[in-house]
Amino acid sequence: MFPGTDGFTWTFGHVLFVALFLAVALTILATVGSAVWRTLGDFRTHRAIDLCWRSDFAEMPEGHRRCRHELASRVSSRACDNAFDCRHCSQYATFAALPPKAATDSIGINYREDCFYDRGHTWVKPEPDGTLTIGLDEFAEHLIADPDSVEMPDIGDEMEMHGTAWRIKKNGKQIRVRAPIEGTVTATGGPKEGWYLKLHPRLDPRDPATLRHLLRGVEVRGWLSREMERLQLQLSPPNTAPSLADGGALVPGLMDAIPEADWATVLDDTFLEA
Amino acid sequence: MASSVLTDSRWIARGALRTAAPRFLLWLAPWAAVLAVGIYAAGLCLYHGLNQTHMDNRFAFGLWIFLDLGIIALGAGAFFTGFLVYILKRVELKPVLNTAVVVGLICYSGAMAILMIDVGQPLRAWFTFWYPNAQSMLTEVTFCISCYLVVLIFEYVPLLLRNRQLRRVPSFLVFEHQLHKLVPVLAAVGALLSFFHQGSLGGLYGVLRGRPFAFREGFLIWPSTFFLFILSAIASGPSFLMLVTAAVEKVTGRRLVSPQLYSRLGFISGVLLAVYVAAKCLDTLLWLNVTSRSVGFAPWQFYSHRPFGTPVLFVEIVILGLLPAFLLTYRRFAMRRGLLLGAAAMACAGVLLNRFVLTIQTLALPTLGFDRFLLYSPSWQEVASFAGVIGYGVIIYSLSYRYLPLFGQAKGNTYVPGN
Amino acid sequence: MSARYGMVIDLDRCTGCGACMVACAAENNVPPLPQATPRTGLTPLLVRKVSNGMEGGAQREVFIPIMCMHCEHETPCVSVCPQQAVEVDKATGIVMQMPQRCLGCRYCMTACPYHARYFNWWDPQWPAGMEKSLNPGVAVRMRGVVEKCNLCHARLHAAEEKAAASGRREIDPADYIPACVEACPTAAIRFGNLADGKDPASHEAHSPDAFRLLARLGTEPKIYYKSKEAWVKALAEPGSGPAWEDQHG
Repeated sequence: MFPGTDGFTWTFGHVLFVALFLAVALTILATVGSAVWRTLGDFRTHRAIDLCWRSDFAEMPEGHRRCRHELASRVSSRACDNAFDCRHCSQYATFAALPPKAATDSIGINYREDCFYDRGHTWVKPEPDGTLTIGLDEFAEHLIADPDSVEMPDIGDEMEMHGTAWRIKKNGKQIRVRAPIEGTVTATGGPKEGWYLKLHPRLDPRDPATLRHLLRGVEVRGWLSREMERLQLQLSPPNTAPSLADGGALVPGLMDAIPEADWATVLDDTFLEA
Repeated sequence: MASSVLTDSRWIARGALRTAAPRFLLWLAPWAAVLAVGIYAAGLCLYHGLNQTHMDNRFAFGLWIFLDLGIIALGAGAFFTGFLVYILKRVELKPVLNTAVVVGLICYSGAMAILMIDVGQPLRAWFTFWYPNAQSMLTEVTFCISCYLVVLIFEYVPLLLRNRQLRRVPSFLVFEHQLHKLVPVLAAVGALLSFFHQGSLGGLYGVLRGRPFAFREGFLIWPSTFFLFILSAIASGPSFLMLVTAAVEKVTGRRLVSPQLYSRLGFISGVLLAVYVAAKCLDTLLWLNVTSRSVGFAPWQFYSHRPFGTPVLFVEIVILGLLPAFLLTYRRFAMRRGLLLGAAAMACAGVLLNRFVLTIQTLALPTLGFDRFLLYSPSWQEVASFAGVIGYGVIIYSLSYRYLPLFGQAKGNTYVPGN
Repeated sequence: MSARYGMVIDLDRCTGCGACMVACAAENNVPPLPQATPRTGLTPLLVRKVSNGMEGGAQREVFIPIMCMHCEHETPCVSVCPQQAVEVDKATGIVMQMPQRCLGCRYCMTACPYHARYFNWWDPQWPAGMEKSLNPGVAVRMRGVVEKCNLCHARLHAAEEKAAASGRREIDPADYIPACVEACPTAAIRFGNLADGKDPASHEAHSPDAFRLLARLGTEPKIYYKSKEAWVKALAEPGSGPAWEDQHG
């Protein structure tokens, strides 16, 4: 019996028993409660998005986690172990000093030299007024072409790196475009101007470290070349040997042109979903 | 591999090779049938009463109690492996940790389900929590098993939340991350709880003053069976894990863990088994010659009834105790997988035999001078209910294996050397 | 001073008529249970027929009524019940079973060396009309709980109420007589307060012919048996020889 019920008396056995049981129950509750509390805290401080990204990154196949310096041929082979967070990479300076190898052959897709690229297929262009413009790169645009619907963020919304920039619906598939950098949305573009958004960055855009994690120049070429390979392999017809065509350009409207392909997998890999 | 209309590939981790969905359903079907029959049998018992079983006033405990104690002993691998990995830092056992958790969850939830059918008034189960008797070993068992089941559920939740689709919910993913960091705490609590309830299950029999076959002296309030049950549970837990892992590798046709893992688990099991056998021999001698004699029971009285003669004792301690202990620890056999698994099976069988002897033989033996030796055989409802638990276990494990990263990372669930 | 109610059963007088069993069943609202087997029946008091195992003229038989022994020392069933549904009443020494709290785990049944506890394997049912013969003073137990002899505690309760009504604190011993004692035609069952030196039952318990079953277990049962036959006395010890139960065990 517990205290308060008829005929109950405290004995040493009771004290020990109740004490042990309470200790165990409290420990279990405290552990789970602590996990819940920390989870809520993570969402309040936006650490949640970074945690989710790092977890998703760990689930990606190794072939998709190549270090940018390998993409630029500064090193022959290196897998990223820091979730593409070049801002906080201890090795970045060492590898950045090495000379890249420039390639000249056509990769079948265009990119802009003056833009910084995120591996979620967005480009970032620093504007003179200190804002950043973010748009979908040609690879993603040629896949999607005309989206069924686009859900842009509101002006003034806060955006976290690797959080959701905007959402696209196409042929029943949900696409989440990852934000390449953190900041506040100052303007968004609509269907006529092309889908983009302008961001007031949280960190100073003149500081080189702010955009360090984004690919540029030769790295973009190396990365896009691999992305084209991946796309061709994933779009190969089933039950045939995988084939890679040399040369050729990516035509726009691929999702409409080959509706029967496994777009779920292609889009997951393109937009870095686990 | 042709993709069929029926596919659950979105739920399976990227890069993980799993059999096609229709074939998986075919695998589940017979186990589901067994579970269905089990649920029906259990339903009969709940609806009509325990007269559906062949238990009676002389055999108040029967097949269910024996098997409950058995699977709890075998499920001890869950807490013990967690203890070895998180507290003693034996990280080479990490690959089987998730399997241990799932097996533990199955064993404990199954045991609880059977217990709910076994008691005459299941709806009164909360009475034990509200009117606990601190003196009773069964109170201790009830509290500890309930708490430990909660712990196991919370050890399973992070695993569940790592499912490919579930982890897309950000709150699930972050919660999994935070809970996973605290799993060592849960493992420690689980080890403490398990220590006590494995022991108390032994204490259940050891305190029976009225049953000299079961009654033992001990240390303070704990009879020797308290410590013997803990030893036998932690000895058989790793063995059972070996058997489960080998079965999974066989069924999936995939090598999931390194061969060294088997010999490592086997060695741990063997050493503990040897300690247990030594302790049991000492305890048996003491019990037969001192404890029982003091209340007027001579050893021959325990073993003079067929089929429970001294050969049973010999089989339990030597054939299914000492022999597997030797086979599991002898270095020359460390890489002979078949031999190790056979020895592991013998170790598990030995523990089951021990639980059987203490449950059934205790009740079969006469106590009063004019009692008869009695026999008992379970009814089909009892057998079917328990078979249902096995079906349930296989289904849970199969689902966990298919959709969750049980063995290492989700990408490419084949064993990678040097991992 | 608190009482220690017990019994002394004279086995030389017991004829095995079974009237005590019938009276017990009637007093305690035990259902008829036609579907029960000898091992699943409900008999808080059970008369067991034991033979000395000899043949022909040397064969002897004795009838031993077995009920709850109301053990006094480290009562096996009390310490094991997880719900505290069993306790020793300090005022009377009666081991009380609370069917309303019983979970039906049957641990107490494995603990009892005298096999004095019985489980309700079926729902209690009476043929139509028979429910009118139920004793209103005793609650009917539901399926799935354990029960046993409680020395007709309802009759003790009635005796206490009678005493209270006449302003007395102590009951009149003549008012509290369990059903089996009342029914026995040879007065083989003597009931009384073993703590009271003046009580005849207490006196008989100290007789040299008195013994208790399995006394060496140390549970201090309060049901004594009495016999002048040596072979019957030997039945107190476990595995005592060629004496075998003739009935169901």
